[in-house]
Amino acid sequence: MITPFHIGLFAVSLCILVTFLSFLKEKDDLHKLILTDLAAIMALFIIALVGTDLAEALILPGLVVGISKLMALAEIYLVKEGIQQKKNSTVLDIEVLDTAPAILAAILVIYGIILSGFSGGAVAGLGIIFYLAFKKHDEKFELIETVSGYAWVTWIAAFFIFLIFPSQWFLAVMLAGGGILLKVMAKFSLIGTMRGDPGV
Amino acid sequence: MIQVFDLNVEGRELFSLSFGDIVPYFSVYTGALAAFVIIFILIAIFSLPERQMNIAFGGDAYYAKEVNVPDMRFSRFMAIACGAATLGAMVTGDIFNFTLFAVMVGITNIGIVAASGNKHVLNAAFQYGIVAMLATVPLFGGAALILATTGSLSIWVLAGAGVVPLLAKALLVLGVMGEGIAPLYIGKAEIIRAQGAPYVLMIHFSSLLLFLRVIEIVLVI
Amino acid sequence: MIHRISGILSNFDNLSRVYAVLIIIVILGGIISIPSMEYQGDRLYPKTIDRDSPLDPYDRGGEPFERTEVLAEYPENSPELGFTTAYLTPLAIALATTTPHMGTTIVAHPGGIIDEILYVTRGLDTVVETAILFVAFAMASYLYRRRDDE
Repeated sequence: MITPFHIGLFAVSLCILVTFLSFLKEKDDLHKLILTDLAAIMALFIIALVGTDLAEALILPGLVVGISKLMALAEIYLVKEGIQQKKNSTVLDIEVLDTAPAILAAILVIYGIILSGFSGGAVAGLGIIFYLAFKKHDEKFELIETVSGYAWVTWIAAFFIFLIFPSQWFLAVMLAGGGILLKVMAKFSLIGTMRGDPGV
Repeated sequence: MIQVFDLNVEGRELFSLSFGDIVPYFSVYTGALAAFVIIFILIAIFSLPERQMNIAFGGDAYYAKEVNVPDMRFSRFMAIACGAATLGAMVTGDIFNFTLFAVMVGITNIGIVAASGNKHVLNAAFQYGIVAMLATVPLFGGAALILATTGSLSIWVLAGAGVVPLLAKALLVLGVMGEGIAPLYIGKAEIIRAQGAPYVLMIHFSSLLLFLRVIEIVLVI
Repeated sequence: MIHRISGILSNFDNLSRVYAVLIIIVILGGIISIPSMEYQGDRLYPKTIDRDSPLDPYDRGGEPFERTEVLAEYPENSPELGFTTAYLTPLAIALATTTPHMGTTIVAHPGGIIDEILYVTRGLDTVVETAILFVAFAMASYLYRRRDDE
């Protein structure tokens, strides 16, 4: 009996074959790095095929793992190739890039806070990346890292409240929602600070 | 219905922790692995880093390479994180949770050598990192297939039932191969040129233990 | 022949290629076994879709501060199972009464089935996942700062 699940599984197998065949062909390190993102999407594809609420909850860890590994590998690539940013101009010198980031970033951050929780953190973080990447910024590294540290502690505290005092679930949900919002947002916005000129 | 601890691989139940749906267990087997990990975490915490010697050919001269303190601290932090991830992978009672811990072992392995300034080491670490990232496909794929075909991710439920498809088991083993990269030692041999003996040791150790654990999982489910 | 194979294996630039070959072999072998698999994935946390609900597609029923039925693996390990699923923040209730199209926004709020799974029953998964994020960013920011100092 062939169900939609089987058809999906066949499709996924084909996609994985294509992805890994591309790795057989590719020799350039930078292109390999970009192709790994394609592979990470294949992993999400299989999880999504299960199609339950559980699968939806498992996709979030899968997604974050892909992003964070790509981040670390990209930084190693820069060090390995000895690429240092020396130029002082921003990426593109267009008027729109001076005015638009602030408005777009504000919209994204506000919507992120309304969403709150995990996806909210990602949306708000995206807004902050956008802002920091195009605007001049001071060294906000320390502040963002401190915020992220406190958010981490809040989150772990919520986890233990769920385990040890299950009757306080309401407090734990609020702590977890707020903590993970701050944490994901802070981690995402670090990407924004890395984009700018060194030593500003 | 066969229980986990009736199987030969596992041995007696020592104790189990419950975190909601994820129930880590200490049997004689996983408990012994966990004890080894704890010993090695302690070694990473308390031992001093090695000082590599450079010998000049054609003469008696040799000199010690300098140990960069911040870099050393960073490798030590990563080695301890790697130990913690290995410990989690050893005792967890859930397939998806195991794959996440395996991924964490993979990324901390790169982290241990990432601080090195040696171009060869960094290149090897980068190539290894690409494989570790690719390994998320078979790891998550295997876990998702198990969830789809059996309806559960808990090793307690799957134990002894023999309903897990062979493809899912093969994918799991292949994924751990990518994260721990044990059979593909070419990448690692090059990585070992990095400084810091007790920390680099953790790379081998974690991949060896990941392998022992995934074999246990494949035999049990 | 063996000499050539060991020549390929000894170059770590080929590492990802060797691994890709292994995966392709396993997948090609596995495709044959796909029709014999049976789908049983909806044993845990199945998805039900009620198109008329303002919380669509995440309506799992239940009154706030009341228990809801949730199909967890070990219900006995989570004594307050179902409370998080049923909870809606005041903002979420306001959104649900004004428009029927904000279900996805509402489920991102604290409370709801995804939070139940992510924080309560499978909380350890999220702990590991944020730990991976933390380690990766520690690496990236350490390398970035060192690059700055040079």
